[in-house]
Amino acid sequence: MKRTTIPFGPQHPVLPEPLVLDLILEDEKVIDAIPTIGYIHRGLEMMVERVEYTEMGFVVERICGICSFMHGMGYCVSLEAIMNVEVPERARWLRLVWAEISRIQSHLLWLGLGADAFGFENLFMHCWRMREQILDIFEKTTGGRIIHSVNRIGGVKRDIADSELAAILAELQELGAAFKETARVFGTDPSIAHRLGGVGVLTKADALAVDAVGPMVRASGIATDTRLGGAFMYDQIDFEPVVETAGDCLARVLVRLREVDQSIDIIRQAIDKMPKGEGLPIENRPRGLPSGEVFTRLEQPRGEVVYYVKANGTKNLERFRARTPTFANIPAMIKLVKGCDLADVPNIILTIDPCISCTER
Amino acid sequence: MANPFRLPMVPRALRNLVSRPATRLYPTELRPRFAGARGAIVFDVESCNFCMLCARRCPAAAIECSREDRSWAIDQLTCIACGVCVEVCNKKSLSMSAEPGRVHTRAEATPDGRRPGREEWLKPAPPPDLTTAPVSAAATD
Repeated sequence: MKRTTIPFGPQHPVLPEPLVLDLILEDEKVIDAIPTIGYIHRGLEMMVERVEYTEMGFVVERICGICSFMHGMGYCVSLEAIMNVEVPERARWLRLVWAEISRIQSHLLWLGLGADAFGFENLFMHCWRMREQILDIFEKTTGGRIIHSVNRIGGVKRDIADSELAAILAELQELGAAFKETARVFGTDPSIAHRLGGVGVLTKADALAVDAVGPMVRASGIATDTRLGGAFMYDQIDFEPVVETAGDCLARVLVRLREVDQSIDIIRQAIDKMPKGEGLPIENRPRGLPSGEVFTRLEQPRGEVVYYVKANGTKNLERFRARTPTFANIPAMIKLVKGCDLADVPNIILTIDPCISCTER
Repeated sequence: MANPFRLPMVPRALRNLVSRPATRLYPTELRPRFAGARGAIVFDVESCNFCMLCARRCPAAAIECSREDRSWAIDQLTCIACGVCVEVCNKKSLSMSAEPGRVHTRAEATPDGRRPGREEWLKPAPPPDLTTAPVSAAATD
């Protein structure tokens, strides 16, 4: 049969960022897909050689506008490990709270984008209306809606008063109750089930074979989550990874829906267990220059992120690498796209929650 | 197969018809800024001793400071509002307002091509103190 090649991206209505897939079609079926990345490469790995390590935190935070808190946290945690800095307990709890709030923010943003991609404009607006409340919480506590700049090597820059933490929790629980209605639409609307159910199925064996991460792998029935490792105070939190077994696009939506509720519960536990009081230490400034190397793993909203930092005792780091979840999920995406209909390609691409700025750094 | 007559979004859509809009009519209606929000850098030229620490520490190199000219300038469009300069300032000459910096247009660029958004301060040198001026040896003779 005659084959047609359709370039998908870098500009496409469903893509907020420039990803290119050359789709090779036979009739309406996708036979092969060839990804190309590199449109927004910014060269962080070279930049690290001329930007001082203290200033690099602000750059790393700007890798991506959605997981900016987690990127900043991953960088600071890596350097704290190299410089042997003991971070005060309250600062570690505050980081966890902010990390979970940013997970809610990311999932709400994605649910909106996903709804928009399968043509449910009304649902898209509701998800983004709720996300706006989360951004307000960020602006109140960190001073910025998207770029928070609260992480510092050795701790955090700002404290949140106990009364404000209680107010945030109340606000989040209210939002969680309002979110139930939206979650019910995702779960029960027949048009969504028709559009996403059974589309782009990633089986458990395939998910393991292509090393998918995050909600992608949890939707295929594998209970894995970097947070289970217990670092960054997660060992004191009681939670189970959200798992769905179907492995299709709908399952990936449902995983993210349930993770929003889970994050609110994690924040409740964290605020409960955090040491209370005014004026508790929130940072422990490091001394000297970093020397050594470290790997750090974090569970970002999109999945596991790995940072590799190598310092050589000067003001500039020798090496900085970030392997972001989208990069790890691209093989899974290619696998799913092969054999599907052309009309399903946008939904399959969106359900991995691609973040191209993260991938290309 | 899901029930095709189940329409869970309909109650919400009907409520939306009669509820107030979730958005504001920006820019006629503005939301007050939160107290801790990071906005424009405010500089007080009177208290500054031109130690140049802020200019050295600024990660975005938005601050220019000169001890000889007693001048201080910030490019508000390059500033990333991280607050490092406010932290390191010994004289507390710098503070951060909750309001964002003004939005500048290209038309505002100065004729010499400087980009808009640059704010400059100059502190005049104090007048020489004549009462303690050293008296030259020739005059005393």
